[in-house]
Amino acid sequence: MRTVGIIKATCACLCLLTGRASCQTDFEMGGKQFQVHGFASQGFAYSNQNNFLSMKTSDGSFALTDGGVNISSRLTPRFRVGAQVYMRNVGNIGNWRPTLDWAYGDYRFNDWIGIRAGRVKTAMGLYNDTQDAEFVHTYALLPQAVYSLDLREATIAHNGVDAYGSIPLRGAGTLAYTVYTGKRQDSIHGGYPYLLRGLATIDLDSYGGVQWGGDLKWMTPLSGFLVGASHMNASTTGKGIGPTRPGNRTEYGPYKETSNKDQTSQFSAQYTVGALRIDAEYRRYWRDQDIYNGQANSTTDARGWYTAGAYRISKRFEAGSYFSRFVLKSRGSPSTKPGDFPINDKVITLRTDVTKYWNVKVEGHFIRGNGGGSPYPTGFYRVDNPAGLFNDTNMLLIRTGWNF
Amino acid sequence: MNRIQSLVLSLVSASWLAGALPAAEVKVIANNSVGATAVSREELKGVFLETKNSLSDGSAVEPVLLKSGATHEAFLKEYVGRMDAALQNYYRSLVFTGKGSMPKALAGDAEMVAYVAKTKGAIGYVSAGTAAPGVKTLEVR
Repeated sequence: MRTVGIIKATCACLCLLTGRASCQTDFEMGGKQFQVHGFASQGFAYSNQNNFLSMKTSDGSFALTDGGVNISSRLTPRFRVGAQVYMRNVGNIGNWRPTLDWAYGDYRFNDWIGIRAGRVKTAMGLYNDTQDAEFVHTYALLPQAVYSLDLREATIAHNGVDAYGSIPLRGAGTLAYTVYTGKRQDSIHGGYPYLLRGLATIDLDSYGGVQWGGDLKWMTPLSGFLVGASHMNASTTGKGIGPTRPGNRTEYGPYKETSNKDQTSQFSAQYTVGALRIDAEYRRYWRDQDIYNGQANSTTDARGWYTAGAYRISKRFEAGSYFSRFVLKSRGSPSTKPGDFPINDKVITLRTDVTKYWNVKVEGHFIRGNGGGSPYPTGFYRVDNPAGLFNDTNMLLIRTGWNF
Repeated sequence: MNRIQSLVLSLVSASWLAGALPAAEVKVIANNSVGATAVSREELKGVFLETKNSLSDGSAVEPVLLKSGATHEAFLKEYVGRMDAALQNYYRSLVFTGKGSMPKALAGDAEMVAYVAKTKGAIGYVSAGTAAPGVKTLEVR
């Protein structure tokens, strides 16, 4: 029985590689049905100037690859278990390190309440938990003002417990809720450690802490219209090796930074009618932290919003466009000047579904502003642009993805 | 209303209305283990969106889909409110976050009836004229 399972899982992996449309990913083991699913995507990015998201986009870069595989089973009508492994390489971020993306047990008592425990994807806004699954989205890159690729780890998952449910509101729609608490442990191959290495020669070897929050989604009585609100608190600590004093680049020792306040709030709206979908979201991230072992203080006030529209033209084609605006309001840090750092991104996308399991997206980005010099990752890193940053970036992005 | 708005609305309406049977042509069926004889539209939508895993009588249920066709399109339009591509994306978003499973999808009415008949808690749909021995037909209120 075990051998059969392994063979079928292997077949599923081959389907992933070949994009075959007839993948059989169910198998039975110990009298229980299991499902195996996976995905992979590959991108190519070419910009006229400025390197974006730590890729050498100005030369044309294929360093945009990710993939994952999961297994799950409904052990009883109310109890499910599963786990997913995920890895990515985006320029200098991710570095192909496999991570346990989620792994948990989920017991649903009734429609009103269920419990998930383990490593759980964090519910926040419309797309936080699905941001890696490019094949469920119209766009090759989600709006970076809210779902920044390089800061994925800050919100993607927590090790802890969720309570969730769906409450009918008697003619006023349905309210879906999730509340959670747990611990976040960011990858040291993410955007924030990468920024600190380049900006301040700080080499973090851990970053994370306690995280708790909630997400509400109201499916209104108007069919297809959803509004939502999310809030997350965190208490984070970063440790590693760095300069012993701000501005010092000769003496190095143990480095520590600790948040005094770390909050993310997000508001969402979505309207779907027939083949048309319109999204709008706003996120504000606020952090106050002591850095350099408490010798200095830094605040981050990052505000982002976007509006997006997508239209399914036919079974094969979908077109979409969005406008995304990100503003970092900084009081400065020992390494940076105070000020506002805005980035506007106008995007147009054509998605082609070659088969049910294989898509190709062609996307144009017209970015104004670069956030250069900010003490928080904005996608444009100084270390990747040693000759300086230009204000405008036009970028062609082609991304293809498989899933089964 | 300008010409662009008119064009967009026309495209939306045309694509949504095209290729679907009337709802009366669809029959909702369930395994005999399901205690209920009728379901509300909201319950049915919740079952197929996996926000519900039981009916009001307490019966545990799991949805079963047809892969394609006019009956499938009519069912989605009438009871789920999503087009097939959007529904498939919805299921994938559940599968890849661990928050749900990909429902079984079957090729035709005969296969659907046979699967629902043998699978405890299964709920599916077939065209109204399909003979459905060994399963119960649920009234949708």
